[in-house]
Amino acid sequence: MMRRLLLACALCGLAATAQAQPRGTLTVGAAVFTDNISPAAAGYNTLSLSYQVWEPLVARDASDALVPALATSWEVVSPTRWRFRLRPNVRWHDGTPFTAEDVRYTLAYVISPQTVYGRKTRIAGLTAIEVVDPLTVDLVTEGPAPLLARGLADIAIEQKALGERVGQANAIRTPIGTGPFRHAEWVPASHFDVTANSDYWGGAPRVARVRIRMIPEGSTRVASLLAGETQIIEEVPVDLIPSVRARRNLAVDAVESSVSLVMSFDTTRPPFNDVRARRAVDMAIDKPLLHRQMLDGFGSVLDGQLVTRNTFGHNPNLQNRPFDPAGARALLREVGIPAGFTNRINTLSGRYLSDVDIASAVAGMLDAVGLPTAVNVVEGAVMNRMERAREQGPMWQVGWFSVGDADFNTVWYTEASRRSYWVNAEYDRLWREARSTLDEGARRAAYHRMMEIMQEEQPAIFLFGLPRVAGRSTRVVNWRPAADSLLRLNTLELRDR
Amino acid sequence: MRYLLRRLLLVPVPLLLVMGFVFIVLRVSGDPVAIYLGTDATPEMEALLRAELRLDDPVLVQFWHFLLDVLQGDFGNSLQFRAPALEVVMARLPGTLELLGLGLALGLGLGVLGGIAAAAFRDRLPDMALTVISVIGQSMPSFWLGILLIQLFALDLGWLPTSGRDGWESAVLPALTLGAFLLPNFLMVTRASVLESMNEQFVASARARGAGTTRALCFHAVPNAVNPVISLLGLQLGRMMGGAVVTETVFAWPGVGRLMVASIGQRDVPVVIVAVLVVAVTIVLANLLVDLVQAALDPRIRAD
Repeated sequence: MMRRLLLACALCGLAATAQAQPRGTLTVGAAVFTDNISPAAAGYNTLSLSYQVWEPLVARDASDALVPALATSWEVVSPTRWRFRLRPNVRWHDGTPFTAEDVRYTLAYVISPQTVYGRKTRIAGLTAIEVVDPLTVDLVTEGPAPLLARGLADIAIEQKALGERVGQANAIRTPIGTGPFRHAEWVPASHFDVTANSDYWGGAPRVARVRIRMIPEGSTRVASLLAGETQIIEEVPVDLIPSVRARRNLAVDAVESSVSLVMSFDTTRPPFNDVRARRAVDMAIDKPLLHRQMLDGFGSVLDGQLVTRNTFGHNPNLQNRPFDPAGARALLREVGIPAGFTNRINTLSGRYLSDVDIASAVAGMLDAVGLPTAVNVVEGAVMNRMERAREQGPMWQVGWFSVGDADFNTVWYTEASRRSYWVNAEYDRLWREARSTLDEGARRAAYHRMMEIMQEEQPAIFLFGLPRVAGRSTRVVNWRPAADSLLRLNTLELRDR
Repeated sequence: MRYLLRRLLLVPVPLLLVMGFVFIVLRVSGDPVAIYLGTDATPEMEALLRAELRLDDPVLVQFWHFLLDVLQGDFGNSLQFRAPALEVVMARLPGTLELLGLGLALGLGLGVLGGIAAAAFRDRLPDMALTVISVIGQSMPSFWLGILLIQLFALDLGWLPTSGRDGWESAVLPALTLGAFLLPNFLMVTRASVLESMNEQFVASARARGAGTTRALCFHAVPNAVNPVISLLGLQLGRMMGGAVVTETVFAWPGVGRLMVASIGQRDVPVVIVAVLVVAVTIVLANLLVDLVQAALDPRIRAD
C-alpha cells in the first residue's frame, strides 16, 4: 500500500516537472454578483472563487463524484467515527506544511455554535475532531453520518496559523490556501485575480494567471466573449446561444447540473388539496416542448421525480407522466375549480435559466385546459419570506440543488424543512432512516421509495434538470462547465490560436 | 451669508428622513436572517444573528440604536461582505463618481452647446436635426443604447473594450450611455431658455445698440438663459443615479449603483443605508451648490 502510494507520488511529481511552465492569462466572465471570497459565505458562486485558493478534504469533480483532495483516503472506523488520511507534503502558499492541526482548527471553528458559516449544516452531526497523528484525523459524529464525506466537499480547509494570528474574519483579506492558485487581487464587484501555484501538489496549473470578472448582464458577457476579452463565460442566455455557436472560434458547452426545477403546490387549499388536480396540472404541461423551446434542449426533462438522473437515489423505474391535455381537462372537471379561484405561479426572475419564460409558458398550458393561471414575479427576499411563512401561494417555482445526493433536496418536502405544505409520514421516516445509515443499498432503496411516494402524491411538478451552459473560446482546452457550477481551472490549457 | 447658513441648517433633515425611510422599509419587507443564512440555517445561527442585529426589538427601537451608532461614525457591518459597510461603499465610490462626472460632463456640455446651436438656427435644418436627435435620445432606453454601443464600438469596430473598468478606454462607452441619457433634457431646456431670452427687451436693445446676432446671443441671451439649466442640473442628479445603476449593470462597471441594487436584494441594510446616504449627501450638496450659484447669478433669489 505504502509503496504504491509512494509510486503514485513520484509519478505525480514527474508529471509536474514534465509539464511546461504555466503561461498565458485566462479571463473568465462570471455571471453572478459575488459578495466576497470568504469560505464562510453561503453561495456556490462564492465557493467557486474560494476554491481557486483553498481546498476541501474531499472534493467533488465536475460531475459531482467525490475525489480525494487534502485527504487521500477515508474510511469508516466505527459507525460514528471516520478516519481521514491527509495528503503528505502539501504546503500552504506561505511555504509552511499543511497538517492535521489545520483540519482540526477549521472544522472546530465551522461547527462552533458561535460561528455563522454558510454551509455548516453540510457537516451537521459532526461533534469532535481528533488528531491521531500529523497526517491522520478522526471525525466523530453524533450518529451514523453517511453524508459526511460529501458534506466536507463544501468546507474549505483554512490555515490555523493565519487564523490565529489575525483572527478568522481578517484571514480572508490575506488569503493563504493550499489550492492550485495563489490569491493576487480582489476588487469588489469587478474582478478576482489569482496566479498559478507552481508548487501545487496536483501539478502546477497550465495558465500563469486567471482573472475572474463579474459581468452580470448576459448580453454583455456574450459580447466580451465575442470580442476576445474573455475566454470562458458562465451562463450563456438561451436566446444568445446561436450567436456564440455561429462563430468558428467559439464553442458552447453544456452539462446537466443537479438542480431540479420544480413547481410545488399548496396542498392544503382547494383545488390542489385534491391529488387529482395536481395530477391534472402535471398532465397539462408539455415538458418536452418546453425543454426544446426554453432550454434549447440542454439539460433534461426530469423522470417524474425530484432528483436528476445522475443523482444518488434516482429511481430508474419512474417516468415523466405523458402530456395529455384532454385527460387533464377531464380530471379538472371532476375535481371542480372553486368559484373565484385564479391560479398563480410565483417565481423569481433570472435566478434559474429561463425561469420566467418557463413559468409563463406553463401558465399558458394551464389556461388551455381550463385552469386560468397568472405568473407573479417576486423578488428574492420576498420569496424567502414567503417560504419561511409557508405562504408561497397555490404554485411556486423553485430549483432545488442536490449536488449529487438525494438527501440534499428531498429534505425540502419533509416536515423538518418547515417549508413544505405537503407532509407524508412514510416519506419523512424514510428520509430520516436514509441519512442515518451507512448502508448504501438501504439508502438507495429508501430514496427509490420516496420518489415513488412523490410521484403518487404529486406535491410538485417535476420539470427539468437544469443545464449549465457555458461559452468558451476554442483556445481553451481541457475544461468543461461543472454540474455544481464551480470553476475548476487547474488542468485547463490556453493555446495560442 | 445668512442665506448660506439657512440652507446649511436644512441639510440634515432630508438625510434623516432618507435614512429612516430606507431602514424601515428594508427591515419590514424582508428578513435579513433568512436571506443571509440561506435555506439551511440552524436555529442557533439564526438566534445569534437576530441578537447581533437586534431584530427582535420594534423597528423604531432598532432605528434609534442604529442612529446612535451612526452618530459615532459606526454604520455597522455589511451582512453579505462581513466588513464595515462604509468601507464596502467607499471602495466602489470612485467608480461611480468617475462615471457620473464623465456622463454629466458629456450630457451637460453637449446638451448646452446643442441647445444654443438649436436656438441660434431656430426652425432651420440644424435645429430640426438636433430636436430629432434629442427625441430619439430621450426615448431610447439606456439599457438598449448601451448594448448597441457595445455592438458597434466593441464588436464591429473593435475600438473599445466591451465592459469592465480598466483604463480610460473602458470609460468611454459607459460615459456616452449615461451622457445620452442626460443630454436631451439639457438640450431642450437650453434651447427653450435661450429662445425666451432672445425675445427679451434687453436683447432687443443690445441689438439696437449695434450688437450682431452672435454677440447678442453669446453675451446677452445665453448668460441670462443659464439659470433654468442650472436648476435642471440639480434635479437631474437624482435621476442620474438611476441611470448609473443601468449603465453599471450593462458595462459590468464596479460602482455604488449596482452595489445598492444587489444589497437591497440581500436586505443588507447597513450597506444600502450608507450607499443611499452617500448619494443623498452628494445630491443635497450639489443642490446646495446649485442654489448658491443661482443666488450669485441672480440677485432676485437672494432677496427672497
